[in-house]
Amino acid sequence: MMFSTNFSCKPSRLLFALLVCLFSGCSAANNQTRSATGDHPIPANKPIVAVLPLNNLSSTPVPLEQIRQLLSKSFETQGLTILPDETVEKFIIKHRVRYVGGLDEMLAENLRYETGADAVLISSVNLYKENPPPKIALTCRLVSTGKNPKILWMDGVGLAGDDSIGLLQLSLIEDPKELLHKAVQYLSTSLASYLSGKKYLPVSRRKIIKFWPQLFYRSPVFELDWKHTVAVVPFFNLSENRFAGEIMPIHFVNQLLRSENFAVIEPGIIRDLLLQMRIVLHNGISLAGSHDLFSKLDADLILSGKVFDYQESEGTSGRAKVDFSALMIERRTREVVWACESHNEGDYGVFFFDWGKINTAHKMASEMVASAVETLVE
Amino acid sequence: MMKVAHLELFKKLVLSSLIIFLCACGPGSRLTYFHDPNMDFAAVRSVAVMPFENLSRDQMAGERVRDVFANSLLATGAVYVIPPGEVSRGIARAGILTPANPSTEEIEKFAGIIKVDAIITGSVTEYGEVRSGNVTANVVSMNVQMIEIQSRKIVWTASATRGGISIWDRLFGGGGEPMNDVIMAAVNDVLDKLFM
Repeated sequence: MMFSTNFSCKPSRLLFALLVCLFSGCSAANNQTRSATGDHPIPANKPIVAVLPLNNLSSTPVPLEQIRQLLSKSFETQGLTILPDETVEKFIIKHRVRYVGGLDEMLAENLRYETGADAVLISSVNLYKENPPPKIALTCRLVSTGKNPKILWMDGVGLAGDDSIGLLQLSLIEDPKELLHKAVQYLSTSLASYLSGKKYLPVSRRKIIKFWPQLFYRSPVFELDWKHTVAVVPFFNLSENRFAGEIMPIHFVNQLLRSENFAVIEPGIIRDLLLQMRIVLHNGISLAGSHDLFSKLDADLILSGKVFDYQESEGTSGRAKVDFSALMIERRTREVVWACESHNEGDYGVFFFDWGKINTAHKMASEMVASAVETLVE
Repeated sequence: MMKVAHLELFKKLVLSSLIIFLCACGPGSRLTYFHDPNMDFAAVRSVAVMPFENLSRDQMAGERVRDVFANSLLATGAVYVIPPGEVSRGIARAGILTPANPSTEEIEKFAGIIKVDAIITGSVTEYGEVRSGNVTANVVSMNVQMIEIQSRKIVWTASATRGGISIWDRLFGGGGEPMNDVIMAAVNDVLDKLFM
């Protein structure tokens, strides 16, 4: 009583006590930074990260090694210890790693015990165009090594040189290297923000409404009372982009991770299981296939879908086009509990001077998927 | 006084003629359907939407329209639609050669593998751009039918056409509605006739 009376009388003491509390809170937070999913802590003392060679999903020649080096340097400045390239190369050769778009359980375990890496950086180039205006789309995720690998952080960026040309085209980016640096900088800042314990930036309500799916269904039996674990399988690709079936699931993994209601299984584990069990995803996953996957995975939901269009805009006058449908099968009922249909074009809702035009399919797909995920949790 | 009344009548006549003229010029929707009067549609709890026959020039037309149709039907919440991957498994296991037009025996086999109350088959007869002079617009024409598994009878059929060149397109250009919107409109027309 006396204590409280004293403090109420002297504001300077109260301020001092508040500062002590604040600093003690900060030091506790610094000991262990929280991850994207919130479940798996990223080791605080300079975690060792193995940067895998980039997965090229752009259908064009890409300076993969240059981008990899840029990412490594940029992430090193954020407090990560990057495993030397030679060590990663030796590991890849020893284990005959041919697929670098994901990490299966065996590789994750071997990587931890043979190289001492705490996490792996898996990156993909979804778009790379050097012709003016240049365009680039990158996706990165940090996956823990050892038993039961988990996605710790994930983000993606899609940029075009003419995204914001400004007055008299003064802000037009014509140099692909400049655009690449901008993309890497974005990813690096996103990682730094996560390492400091901040959450992902929410997608604006206006964009969610703009890209709201044309059609969706949510079963009344589907409940969001607990955190669901989702397995995202490759999409059935009917588009002209031959990697669209791999790119769309990456968007879904990225957006589902941002929701507090979902934990997402590392896509590399799912790919490995599909190959092991020889499950063919013709027209999406069958109930028999989902039964097999559920028996091996600790997942509550399987997300599958089809891509009809994943088209990048050509030049300055072209328009990006994305058209997909997705559905979720639940473990308990073995029924479709959610389905959606979404299609958009980059110039949708654009009337004057290309204001608001989206120049990359990556950016548009990302926002469309964010809206689709919103229909799941809303 | 008589002159004023005549003038009013003339105005009304002109206005109504104008409305009729404008409506006749619009693309509108053409829709025909059949409902089996003896069928209890409430008994149909789950359906499998078979791949649609594609009679248009666009290779993806059948699959696109089928996907929108299946998702729209599921979104109504009235029936459960079997996932397309499971339908493909059923078709492969039953050895159906032409899934768009299965025979009675094939339907029987299919129903034995995929437990459904009815199957829906369909065809896309027109899909793409139509041109008139220098004006273009998207058009979709589709037919669907529901076959009940127990009786193996067609219990519902419907066809719809949407899109085309409107008077607005003729006067001001613009290229008509986007293809996906035209498909959605045609599918909604068809589904309206199922639940009427």
